[in-house]
Amino acid sequence: MSINGISSRSSLMLQSMVEMRRQLDDLQRQLGTGRRSVTYAGLGINRGLAISVNNQLAALKSYNASMQQVSVRLDLAQTALGQIDSVTHEVKTAIFQSKFAIDPGGQTAEQRNAGNQLELVLGLLNTTAGDRYLFSGLGFDTPSVESSVHILEGDGARAGLKQMISERRQADLGAAGMGRLSIPAAVGATLSVAEDAAGSPFGMKLAAVNSTLTGATVTGPAGAPASVSIDLGATNPAAGDSIRLSFTLPDGSTTDLTLTATASASPGANEFSLGANAAATAGNLQAALTTAVAGIAGSELAAASALAAGDAFFSADLNNPPQRVNGPPFATATSLVAGTAANSVIWYTGEAGADPARSTANARIDASISVSYGLRANEEALQSAVKNIAVFAAVSYSSGDPQAAASYGALKQRVAANLANVPGQQKISDIAAEIASAQTAMAAASERHQQTDATLADLMESITTVSPEEVGAKILALQTNLQASLQTTALLLQTSLINYL
Amino acid sequence: MSLSQALSTAVSGLRVSQAGLALIAANVANAETPGYVRKSLDQTTIAAGGLGSVRVSAINRELDQYIQRQLRTETSGGAYADLRARFYERLQQLYGDPGSATTLETTYNNFTGALQALATSPESSTARREVLSAAQVLAQHLNGMTTAIQGVRTDAEFGLADAVANANEAMQQIARINQQIGSVRPGESTMAALLDQRDVYIQRLAELMDVRTVENEYHQLSVFTTSGVQLVGVDASRLTFDPQGTMSPNAFWSSDPALRSVGTIKLISPTGGDMDLIANKAIRSGEIAALLEMRDQVLVQAQAQMDAIAAAMSRALSDRNIDGTAVTAGAQAGFDIDVGGLSSGNTINISYTDTLTNTLRHITLVRVNDSNALPLSDSDTASPDDRVVGIDFSGGIASVVAQINAALGPSGLQVSNPAGTTLRFLDDGAGNKVNLNALSATETATVLTGGGVELPLFMDAQAVYTGSFSSLGSQQVGFAGRIAVNSALLADPSRLVIYGAGIPTGDATRPNFLYDRLTTGMLDFSPESGIGTLDAPFSGSLPSFLRQIVSQQGEAAAAAENLAEGQAVVVQALQQRFNDSANVNVDQEMANLLNLQNAYAANARVMSVVKEMLDALLRL
Repeated sequence: MSINGISSRSSLMLQSMVEMRRQLDDLQRQLGTGRRSVTYAGLGINRGLAISVNNQLAALKSYNASMQQVSVRLDLAQTALGQIDSVTHEVKTAIFQSKFAIDPGGQTAEQRNAGNQLELVLGLLNTTAGDRYLFSGLGFDTPSVESSVHILEGDGARAGLKQMISERRQADLGAAGMGRLSIPAAVGATLSVAEDAAGSPFGMKLAAVNSTLTGATVTGPAGAPASVSIDLGATNPAAGDSIRLSFTLPDGSTTDLTLTATASASPGANEFSLGANAAATAGNLQAALTTAVAGIAGSELAAASALAAGDAFFSADLNNPPQRVNGPPFATATSLVAGTAANSVIWYTGEAGADPARSTANARIDASISVSYGLRANEEALQSAVKNIAVFAAVSYSSGDPQAAASYGALKQRVAANLANVPGQQKISDIAAEIASAQTAMAAASERHQQTDATLADLMESITTVSPEEVGAKILALQTNLQASLQTTALLLQTSLINYL
Repeated sequence: MSLSQALSTAVSGLRVSQAGLALIAANVANAETPGYVRKSLDQTTIAAGGLGSVRVSAINRELDQYIQRQLRTETSGGAYADLRARFYERLQQLYGDPGSATTLETTYNNFTGALQALATSPESSTARREVLSAAQVLAQHLNGMTTAIQGVRTDAEFGLADAVANANEAMQQIARINQQIGSVRPGESTMAALLDQRDVYIQRLAELMDVRTVENEYHQLSVFTTSGVQLVGVDASRLTFDPQGTMSPNAFWSSDPALRSVGTIKLISPTGGDMDLIANKAIRSGEIAALLEMRDQVLVQAQAQMDAIAAAMSRALSDRNIDGTAVTAGAQAGFDIDVGGLSSGNTINISYTDTLTNTLRHITLVRVNDSNALPLSDSDTASPDDRVVGIDFSGGIASVVAQINAALGPSGLQVSNPAGTTLRFLDDGAGNKVNLNALSATETATVLTGGGVELPLFMDAQAVYTGSFSSLGSQQVGFAGRIAVNSALLADPSRLVIYGAGIPTGDATRPNFLYDRLTTGMLDFSPESGIGTLDAPFSGSLPSFLRQIVSQQGEAAAAAENLAEGQAVVVQALQQRFNDSANVNVDQEMANLLNLQNAYAANARVMSVVKEMLDALLRL
């Protein structure tokens, strides 16, 4: 290459120096910001990759944000479920040891305690994470359950559990307190036990009759309304012979009544005296039956009735208001009628769709993985816990009632059995296990995301950033070049013939 | 032979030395003058009375004409590449700093991220508002990109106006100098100066467009474009340009003056004839070609890409597919479909097999509300292998049936209207020449609730975007500049979740649908965006399309930059070689000065000797 003198017309050298200067400025920017380029054009062949990586990083970020939120919700839900489970357990244990000793309010200490525990459980069911009610299904912005006062006592015109238990008790026991059964006086040697109305859901239902009474014929239950007929025939039964009647109670349980013939003129409980002939014995049997049925009605039936009322009350939701006794008068009611949201407290105020509770909340934690973690307060296990505790807390006794202790015992035994784990029914720990599996899935995904995120961030860095060493070396080389150029230029400018003439 | 002869010869020598000195003075003085070419002096012996005296025969310009010609060509290329690179660089800046919060991808990712958060907490009013604000930012980003792209286009338009004015000036100067040269004797110093000047103007013209010159024996020069259009002959032609004040996405160049809404360059010859240089593709290089390429292709395509994103995004969220229900009538089988919900731009998609050749064919019927929009072209939909027929719905269902039957005529399919707005498509039955495989319609949701999970989240100003066609063209053109978040949704953000009566506030169905469509939904994109071709259109998710666009633009800008750098090297090298011969070298001039000084002294010495000799003679 020829060496030319410097003049502005031979501006090429100047241009190249300007260009070097520009490069130096750009390198300085790279060194300062650590970024390879301020435009996509400058990123080179990997610019498309940079966009994809950015996209993936943004997706990971949003998945992680979701998981963070969801994990708070799940932690809170687990805490609530754990506490509800332990409260249920406590109540159950206390009930087992409970003795019938009522306070002036008509309740035992364990019942009072159950009332307090009910408040606690309902409070836990109204757990919120942020503004979100965790146990409301899809209705995240509505409280899951009513307060315990509303549930027990009602709210203005809306009836609570106590009122519904009372109505149901009237309907089940009937005006005569006979569990809606009629046992008319014997005609000759024949007597009968009959339900008072066909298709009525109330009272004791005749399930079966068995007899070992010598010479007696028992038929039924048959007919509508169902009735049982006991014909002692011509011969008097022998002492020790017995007759057993089985009843189905409103909560689905059954109870048996066995009356045994005795020669004694003063029969004990569940015994009847043998008369002079079959007709006289039939009269005694009728009287004994009436007493025994009234006894069952006042004790076991009353307890079963309370639980039946509890079933109706707690199986209700906004779409299905509770089934109530069609009255007043309640004592003669023969059918149920659907309540309304205006006349009945509906304990579960969340969303109650047909979808499984878990599917009401889904969080996407990966491109193809999502976890379901929705909860409803009226899920079987939770509903059963609340129902039994509430019924136990709602029933009260009068000290003048001779059946009170027996009724309390029947209630106690039923509630305790219901609070224990029933095979084939959902348990609170089942719900907790499902939530835990969502937590496990999230933990695994989170770990995976961390690794992916780190890899992608590294890749992104290698595309968009420059190493200071590399830039430093480039600057050094450029600086040397620029200095050499400037010195040579200065030298050439001085080396002109003009200076030597 | 006499002393007087020697004297006059010495005087002529002095004269030539003086002329040489004047020339050196001129060279040195003009060393910095742009366009100045070093002059040299020719001297010849005059054989008057036997011995020769000397005189200046001509003033020459020291230049290599071959390199000069090549330099002109490459200058055009260099100016073209340089301007193009600068425009690309500006365009690149619109796409933002990679990884910063200002890029389109970041705003897009923020939007999908907000949707994902909403899917996790559908009941949260904060999450809903965040989705809407992210959507607004995205819409505004697209609006801003449109404004910016059209701003760059406007600059290109005004750049063209300036370039045309400069070209006119140069052409007129060349013509003027041509005329002056006609009246100057060759070899005169004025001639060289005029040629210098003319070269400057040609060089200036070469920067603006690619030119070729032809010089006649009288040193007069004709200028042509390389495509052969004469710009300067005896007289200069004149270029005209009619710039438009502001550019809009709908402004395009067209050879039809009625459809053209941007400026065009016309050449008006000295005789008064005119010719459209853009229509004739007469300008192929130089700044003007670069500006035209930017205004009519690169920036139009950049806009089309933004429009494609806006349209795809809008329709991905609002369009639903309706399948026809199968029916039979005697031996004929087919489908019923209700077209009552179709908006202008929505389609009915027919797929049938021609059993004679056993080929699968597709017909897309597009609803239009304006018969002026007809006929549509097969490229109006993104799908590659379909026949597109526009059906004007403004004349009622009977007219629709008639139009469709006319369109289907050759295929053997038939359409009837059994009731209401239902159309029944049937094959030919017993003839069995054609089998109708599938029938579906694409319908745009226009309401926020009660229309399924699809949601018109983005609107074309106040109207629902349906991709309609009208006499003004496709609704997609410039949509990126008009896209906005549905104002009804802004007034009631709960509609992001509640898509119908009785849908609980915590239902994530709609947020999940929106998120899926925006992140993984497969869409076809029209080839107008420069991604994919008509036969094989780009089909993919929105993020991958976004990646393609930014990637392609970055690639193009980097290529433009590389081209410009390469071209600059070529131009510089040529300039260097040209300068080697044409530039004034002060050292050389100084050396010549010493020579002349000596010659002058020698001639003066001869004169003084002659004088002494004459004196001696007179003293005899």
